[in-house]
Amino acid sequence: MVRRPPLARVSLAAVAATLALGPLALLAGAAGAAPGPFQTTRRDAGTPNSSQVTRNASGQIVSYGDKWITYRAPSSALTQLGQALYMENCASCHGTMADGVPAPGTVGAYPNLVGLGPATIDFWIVSGRMPAADPTAVQAPRRQPRLTPAQAEAIAAWINSILPSYPYIPDPHVKRANVATGMALFALNCAACHTIEGDGDALAYATFAPSLRHIPAYQVAEAIRTGPGNMPRFTGNLSDQQVDDIVAYVTKYIQHPENPGGFGLGQLGPVAEGFVALVIGVGLLALIAYWIGERA
Amino acid sequence: MSDESRTPVALAGLRADDPHLEPSARNPHVVEAVIAALFVVGMACVAGFGAAYWVNAKPWILGATLGGGLLFLGLGLIAWGKYLMPRGPFVEERHPLANDAAEREALAAVLVDRGASVVKRRPLLGGLLGGGMGIFGIVALFPLLRSLGPLPKGTLFHTDWRKGSYLVDQTGRRIHEGDLAVGSIVTVFPEGTENTDRGQAVDQTVLIRLSNFNYVTQKGRATWGPKGYVAYSKLCTHLGCPVGLYEQQLQLLVCPCHQSMFNVTDGAIPTFGPAPRPLPQLPLYIDAQGYLRAQADYDQPVGPGFWERGRS
Amino acid sequence: MSDVAGATTTKRARRQGAGRYGRLGQVVNELDDRLGVAKGGRTFLDKIFPDHWSFMLGEIALYSFLVLLVTGVFLTFYYIPSSALVTYHGPYLPLDGQRVTQAYASTVNLSFSVRAGLLMRQMHHWACDIFVGALVVHMARVFFTGAFRKPRELNWTIGVTLLTLAIANGFLGYSLPDDLVSGTGIRIAYSIMLSIPVVGTYLAFFVFGGNFPGTAIIPRFFILHVLIIPLVILGLVGAHLTLLVRQKHTQFPGPGREENNVVGSPMFPVFMAKTTGYLFAVSGVIALLGAFAQINPIWQFGPYDAARISYAVQPDWYMGFLDGALRIFPSWSFMGFGHTIPFEVTIPAVIFPGIVFGLAYAWPALERRVTGDHAIHHLLDRPSWRPKRTAAGVAVLALLSALFIASSTDVIANFFHLSLNTVLWAMRVIVILSPFVAYPITYKICKELQGVHGAGKRKTPNLVVRTDEGEYVAEPTPAYPEDVLDELEPTPVPTYIEQPEAESTAPGVRVVER
Repeated sequence: MVRRPPLARVSLAAVAATLALGPLALLAGAAGAAPGPFQTTRRDAGTPNSSQVTRNASGQIVSYGDKWITYRAPSSALTQLGQALYMENCASCHGTMADGVPAPGTVGAYPNLVGLGPATIDFWIVSGRMPAADPTAVQAPRRQPRLTPAQAEAIAAWINSILPSYPYIPDPHVKRANVATGMALFALNCAACHTIEGDGDALAYATFAPSLRHIPAYQVAEAIRTGPGNMPRFTGNLSDQQVDDIVAYVTKYIQHPENPGGFGLGQLGPVAEGFVALVIGVGLLALIAYWIGERA
Repeated sequence: MSDESRTPVALAGLRADDPHLEPSARNPHVVEAVIAALFVVGMACVAGFGAAYWVNAKPWILGATLGGGLLFLGLGLIAWGKYLMPRGPFVEERHPLANDAAEREALAAVLVDRGASVVKRRPLLGGLLGGGMGIFGIVALFPLLRSLGPLPKGTLFHTDWRKGSYLVDQTGRRIHEGDLAVGSIVTVFPEGTENTDRGQAVDQTVLIRLSNFNYVTQKGRATWGPKGYVAYSKLCTHLGCPVGLYEQQLQLLVCPCHQSMFNVTDGAIPTFGPAPRPLPQLPLYIDAQGYLRAQADYDQPVGPGFWERGRS
Repeated sequence: MSDVAGATTTKRARRQGAGRYGRLGQVVNELDDRLGVAKGGRTFLDKIFPDHWSFMLGEIALYSFLVLLVTGVFLTFYYIPSSALVTYHGPYLPLDGQRVTQAYASTVNLSFSVRAGLLMRQMHHWACDIFVGALVVHMARVFFTGAFRKPRELNWTIGVTLLTLAIANGFLGYSLPDDLVSGTGIRIAYSIMLSIPVVGTYLAFFVFGGNFPGTAIIPRFFILHVLIIPLVILGLVGAHLTLLVRQKHTQFPGPGREENNVVGSPMFPVFMAKTTGYLFAVSGVIALLGAFAQINPIWQFGPYDAARISYAVQPDWYMGFLDGALRIFPSWSFMGFGHTIPFEVTIPAVIFPGIVFGLAYAWPALERRVTGDHAIHHLLDRPSWRPKRTAAGVAVLALLSALFIASSTDVIANFFHLSLNTVLWAMRVIVILSPFVAYPITYKICKELQGVHGAGKRKTPNLVVRTDEGEYVAEPTPAYPEDVLDELEPTPVPTYIEQPEAESTAPGVRVVER
């Protein structure tokens, strides 16, 4: 038995634990990102900005045409149902008139929902952020939604019936999109927060940019058009075609990254690579050296 | 397996049956079989690499066969050396590298005496030659450096923004006052530079809509933010990364490289992180057709600090 | 080789001339006639290499450098060092039709369209990460065992220079694909050059051939990366090994190992077999990493464009400590007298690494001066024998590691759902504290290790035998066959008195641990 002093033993154990846990975490990350199939078909570059923007009197955009994205108003038949659902799930904070004035005695400040547009209401509910699990949290995380998409649309329909507003719920036609344009636009507009791999990251204070890995296409479009939370809104500065391109790039490539070079290491970049090089590369080779040589 | 067999011996003059020359493996035949197996697997892998290369297989198959082949051959060879070759240990004398005092003195004498006799007798020649070499060194250095690039001159002090420059996005489309909703951001360039290196690297500017009404970020900038549009240089004042990260509720521009945070409602004053100066603000106006244009160039150099940059 | 037909007579004559060693003996004769290699060659093949495993760490670096050379030559066949803009067309759809530089397009092409191109690129990158890592580990071994002491200061200096050059060349190579992530790194490098007082602007303009980005930097980085720095590295590696052979290896003290000898295995055949096998193993591990672990997927990053940016861009690991230092340093900029000194950049990115590497260069001289030890050393120290040196080394490593961790503040904040600002402040504290915590702990561990007699060695029990006269005699048991070399050092004089155990009254034989 080798007798070592306690301090040395503790520090050795700490080093061993660090070395053992690191690769495990990496493997866990790598397992999430399986290599995707390689696409070989090719498309022509899309025509530039062909959407037909319609503005109202004050210059606000009310329609983009529906070649690239179809905007759907929530069915007015759902208004009654929506009101009931709203009163049950939302009214305690946002108030019975959806104006952000809660019942007397409720602590906190809540946003006015009127005039935000159906896409905004829909996005917050279908992404599971609302009804909020913890209304005091700095930023609501994406969760398993409590309400179904149909119920979300119903609530959006009722709030829209108070004051009709835009944008409507988008339905992007990603098959027509050009992923190359999408990638360029993604790098210019989205990667600064969500990272170029789409993993998201911590932002200022306790806010964070969520991962884009498991988000349906229409919700990506909703987020771009409505700017939920700290995310900027992209309205007149991105045409429908451009939004469509971005959505296509996100759903096809960010969510299914092509890793022809092996495991993607969780798409974590140089930090993970350095870890692998030092622990697996140099570590394994040092073990071989330990075998080759004498130990005293 | 006696004690003597592990005492280091010199290689020279060792008898052929010396225990130091025996392999260290207790059962060499087993080890030999294992090594042979390693070599066979290695050979198979290397041959597989050839085949995989021939048919242009996927990278991981190429790498697995190549790496496996090299690794197995290597492990076999190491095992051969470790278990089946003379076990030693052997010893080698280490002779001092230093020479004796007489040798050292002789060298010093050559350097000092012979050198001095030559140089001291002709001090003028020695001085002239030294001077010539020195001047050549200096003279050679400067043109060599100088030809590498232009002098900075005023390059770092100006951008391509001019009085009346249209703000255009990366596709060259002019920005209209109705384009951005409150809480929107777009990267803009002075019209005509959106596809140039310099436009991308120096002129890039973020345009943010903070409200629907004229927005004043600092004293003396009363007219700079028409209809709530404010524009800041996109170059971080820390290291020049594009400050593309806008958080619309916190009203912060964050640099993605080193997380400097700039408050956009307050003249982009840094509130956190290593950036020392606010982002310069571009004065804007809206023309009769409703397009956004620049009143003038930035009032200070954009981007990171440098020696010639004055105060402010 | 001689012509076979009609050469029987000359062949026989040659065989006779060759003596008892046959054709190889003949070759030796011919070579020795011309080059006089017999004596030197024999000495070289008899050269003794110490067997301790830690002496192989430098070989990881040497062999990964060989892999770098081979794979690098392959890459130069396909890589085009040009900033000229082209439209990419190829199998990766998101790039199809994008305007990219030729450097980027050719790197993507060699990854996707050249046979084994992606494997070679990934092996090159992995070999680089491992090369620098092995250099650091090797350097740590040399430092903590005192192998840099007289007469080996010059070789230490060469080693530190090699590490510097390796890091620099790694950064240059990382920049060559001109993708979004590496382009951001170049932008930062440009700003760091700008930050140097007085000459910074000129330096940046001369290196980049004008204002950032310009078109000169890719070709310039290329020629530095593939020719000039590798040549210097190669020359210094040669000098490093020549000095090693000339001065012979150090060795750990042990039975039969003295200042005036070297104990181990001879160059031929034992060491040659092991080291050649190790060359294969190193290349094999690098190839396996290149096969299974994707590195630097530039097609996912897209081309560089000065207006684009990705969050969470990080340099390769060996530059991480610089990035961390830049992140946590406060915004102290000096402005006055019509000039600006951006201390927030100059101190962490220029002065601090200057101090770290300057300290590494100066360490042998510093230690000589502090200890007054000007003797020649060929026997190594165990790290615990020199607690102050070991503690100082660990303190510097702790500082650099803390800075490395500080380069991932965003990743930490995201993973643990903490505020980014809090994490950054915590890292500021941790970085400042790390050396001051690491030093005393290491010092204490070393002292403890010194106090443990024979720690890490197997004990041989003593037999206490009662003789016929009733006298007790302690006799050492016969050692295990493998244990003969591992004799224990003499017991040190105890620093405190142990309470004696109650005497056993049982007669007979009792085994106690010595």
